[in-house]
Amino acid sequence: MQDLLIALGNIFEPDSLFVLIIGTLAGMVIGSLPGLSSTMGVALVIPITFSMSPENSLILLGAVYVSSVYGGSITAILLRTPGTDASIATALDGYPLAQQGRGAEAVGMATIASLIGGIFSTILLIAVAPPLSRIALSFGPVDYAVLAVFGMVTIIGVVSSNPIKGAVSAAAGLLLATIGMDNFTATQRFTFGESSLFDGVPLLPALIGLFSISQAIALSVPKSASILSETADISHGRPYPSVELIRKCLRTIMKSSIIGSAIGVLPGAGTSIAAFISYNEARRSSKTPENFGKGEIEGVAASEAANNAVTGGTLVPTLTLGIPGNAVTAVFVGGLTIHGMAPGPRLFTDFADVTYTLILSLFLANLMFAIIGLGVGRYLVYVTRIPGSVLGPLVLAFSFIGTYALRNNLFDVGLALCFGILGYFMERRNYPAAPLVIALILGPIFEVNFRRAMQISSWDLTIFFDRPLTIFLMVLVVAAVALPVWQHRKAKRAIAESIGNESATEKS
Amino acid sequence: MTVTTLFKSATATAAITLSVAAAPALAEYPERPVTMIVAWGAGGSTDTMARIFSDYIGEDLGQRFVVENREGAGGEVGWTALANAEADGYTIGLINSPSFESKGIVRDDVGYSMEDIRPLVNVVTDPGVIAVSADSPYETLDDFVEAAKENPGELSVSHEGVGGDDHLAALDFTDKAGIDVNFVTFDGNAEATAALQGGHIDAFEGNMSEVANQIENGSVRALAVWSSERMDAIPDVPTGQEQGYDVISAASRGLAVPAELSDEQYNTLLEAARGVIENEEFRAELAELNMPVVPIYGEDFVQFLENNRDTLQNLWEKDPWIEQ
Repeated sequence: MQDLLIALGNIFEPDSLFVLIIGTLAGMVIGSLPGLSSTMGVALVIPITFSMSPENSLILLGAVYVSSVYGGSITAILLRTPGTDASIATALDGYPLAQQGRGAEAVGMATIASLIGGIFSTILLIAVAPPLSRIALSFGPVDYAVLAVFGMVTIIGVVSSNPIKGAVSAAAGLLLATIGMDNFTATQRFTFGESSLFDGVPLLPALIGLFSISQAIALSVPKSASILSETADISHGRPYPSVELIRKCLRTIMKSSIIGSAIGVLPGAGTSIAAFISYNEARRSSKTPENFGKGEIEGVAASEAANNAVTGGTLVPTLTLGIPGNAVTAVFVGGLTIHGMAPGPRLFTDFADVTYTLILSLFLANLMFAIIGLGVGRYLVYVTRIPGSVLGPLVLAFSFIGTYALRNNLFDVGLALCFGILGYFMERRNYPAAPLVIALILGPIFEVNFRRAMQISSWDLTIFFDRPLTIFLMVLVVAAVALPVWQHRKAKRAIAESIGNESATEKS
Repeated sequence: MTVTTLFKSATATAAITLSVAAAPALAEYPERPVTMIVAWGAGGSTDTMARIFSDYIGEDLGQRFVVENREGAGGEVGWTALANAEADGYTIGLINSPSFESKGIVRDDVGYSMEDIRPLVNVVTDPGVIAVSADSPYETLDDFVEAAKENPGELSVSHEGVGGDDHLAALDFTDKAGIDVNFVTFDGNAEATAALQGGHIDAFEGNMSEVANQIENGSVRALAVWSSERMDAIPDVPTGQEQGYDVISAASRGLAVPAELSDEQYNTLLEAARGVIENEEFRAELAELNMPVVPIYGEDFVQFLENNRDTLQNLWEKDPWIEQ
């Protein structure tokens, strides 16, 4: 308690508040720029923290982390260019809303959902950090393998009205995921001697290509360039979502906050998976699921509440055990270590005041980005007024700079361009890009964990039926496949019946 | 601005640029910021060390040393970049032993050759550690060996990639102990220690700096450290030799330069590095990170890596660690 009071004193120091504001702004900008990921943002500011006090450097890292996850939503909604992979699901409904002239409203909803999700997960972090991290540890390689399958099955069902096209896209992602050095045998697979591919197809260039460059190409092609100029008429839209609308989405936001926090605690699964699972859940429980993908604001709320709820969740195992849940928190561990703070239980004993300063700064950073987002986010809708001929090259330039900056590697830029062309044609043929990207992330997680499980059990497949947790996860997978099929059948039967009734009436 | 004035200012600028460009012949090296290639991502142990080192050497030589992360392929991307970099003294890099020497033994299409890179100085030597979770029944190496003998092919030991120092140490240990265990490949120690604490694997093979904090806070129990003497960071952990298992293994991190670098610049860097390594503040910072400073300078470091390569080459020819 005393530590909490010290932390409270720390955070309201003028220099700490200054760092917090700078961090929040920087995070929002980094997050909203395609190609600059949260991981990259946090990694970029670590060198700056060298000369700071431990308190201030953690405030900076925390602020950049949470606000960059939020920042991705603005461009996802207004430009269909998710600033980070966390906001891929946000674009599904956010962009159609922007096209309908409700961009400002969608950004407002995203901000409120992000705020609630972020605050919820921070409360969770401060309240139940140690017990929750023990749940995360009980996930072994077998469980991760099943979880990866669950993620892929869910995503295929989520993003496309045509599951076959979704599955084709995911299959392409899985194939691409086989490229790279096999760490189990130290052999190269499909790299053709290109050292930049030894670690597999780099995710961010693929992401930037599929989501940003494809968009830049679309903007530069005459006719399709008008996609954005059509959306430019936002003056009629509401600047903020109505209280009634927020109240309507509150259930979804709370549910997504819980899902996001829970997924955040699990190592490996990150913001994008949480967003997709919550999005799918929102659609499943909606009275009007057919509106999803066409501009349902509840979809934006679900995705954004979930991805920001992940932030607090990922810090649970990071801070309590020193086990980072994802790439961003892995960088966090580096940031902590630089200041001589060993991640682990000692953070809550020896360095409790610093650790609580970090947690409190997450609260403030969430409030800060919400204030800035609600204040300025509305005006950010005007970026859609920029003609395609300006915006296209601008997106292209940012994409190239971002891609190059990731590894200082020109090969990646070419790769991003290839993915951009692929993404452009996929979109024209109505193949969703998200399953490809998700499969690119989850494919290796599945492969590696499946092989680990087999190494542990000496190729005994019964390891999948050894523990209740694994069986529970497999039931989830079966449900994720069966539910949409069942719903589809039910809908079909309903249609068939109504047609039957109609023809019956016609005859009479 | 008219065309003439534009032309005039352009010539003026050109003249200034030329005079500046001509200066290096007289000025002291380094004249401008030096790039330090780190073949791993930001925030990792090599990166952390490099960033601390760059601050000290930069202050010493009066120029910024800028860390550039060129990660990928277990170091190969960065080392290939270092091997191909211009040998003008403005690109140096970090190398990691034994990965640096072992790649060329396993594959003949490695992007760099050891001959293209001249080792400068070894900074840190991080010994191998075998550890179990705090609630594991094994207290000593003998406990573990006994259990493995009773249940051949049942216990699992993690390592971080085939052919890396962890894998080689684990192979050496199980070979000398005469036990048969399942090796489980992980990509990093974070996942492996999580699996260890969750009870999914029985033992973890990694480097000391990666788990020293967890050993200290009691969430992980080290059975042995693969060094000839006990380490300051984990004084209660016995060596393998103390327990009758003659296994020595470590990961080393040092600096290197492109092979063609002039001796003059090489020596400037070597002396500056010596100054950094002898600096008490620098040593204190690395001690805080549980990274043992083991300096090996210049030609000795070259010899050290060559010896290592020969040992690995013999081992490979006798008993390849990767099935072919």
